[in-house]
Amino acid sequence: MDVAAERIDRLHDLARAAAADGEDDRARYYVRLARRVAERNRLELPRTFRRFTCDSCDAYLRPGTNARVRLQDGHVVVTCDCGSHARYPYDG
Amino acid sequence: MALTPETLPRHELNGLPVRVVDSDDDGRVGLEGRVVIETTNTLSIEVRTDGESRVVTVPKSGSTFEFAITDEAADSTKESGTTSKLADTQPGGTERSAPSDSAGEGVAYVTVDGSRLLSRPARRTETNGDSPWQ
Ligand SMILES: [Zn+2]
Repeated sequence: MDVAAERIDRLHDLARAAAADGEDDRARYYVRLARRVAERNRLELPRTFRRFTCDSCDAYLRPGTNARVRLQDGHVVVTCDCGSHARYPYDG
Repeated sequence: MALTPETLPRHELNGLPVRVVDSDDDGRVGLEGRVVIETTNTLSIEVRTDGESRVVTVPKSGSTFEFAITDEAADSTKESGTTSKLADTQPGGTERSAPSDSAGEGVAYVTVDGSRLLSRPARRTETNGDSPWQ
């Protein structure tokens, strides 16, 4: 794994920790920096990172705190406090 | 490419324990904490003093930082190999394995001149080579 991918992993952990401490702006800063590192180095962000961040406001999502997670037939809907929805399919 | 003394200037600094060992401003020498925010020209260090935390912003240029790296046990043998090589080759980075501080378990201290870190946070990974010679 190269340095850029490791930076993204570290930033993911930092964002999660900051969000858990209620430091939302700091979590946003880590999420944005991780996105920037990924695009500069042409890396795909890890799936857990994509699922736990808001595409529109860059918040680190904590289901039950700043995100609503609902199952509908065949897909999951995640609603951020900013109002944007993310949908992804699930099996079963 | 784990976080080693060689890759540190290109790696993520946020979250690392850091100490200001030298600075143009004497008031900043000895500050110790964790890097929480990095900008092109500054590092913001969160200093905790008995339960209370404050964030101090230190300019990169004109300061020397000592970062503490704890290696992830797995490549501890490789790490010791690279660090001993480092001692010979890197003039800007002195490094000591510290049995005194923090239980001595695989902690490496890397001293970096702040001017080597001057770069936009997201771009350091591309712009700063592993070579200490720029
Ligand atoms: Zn949002």
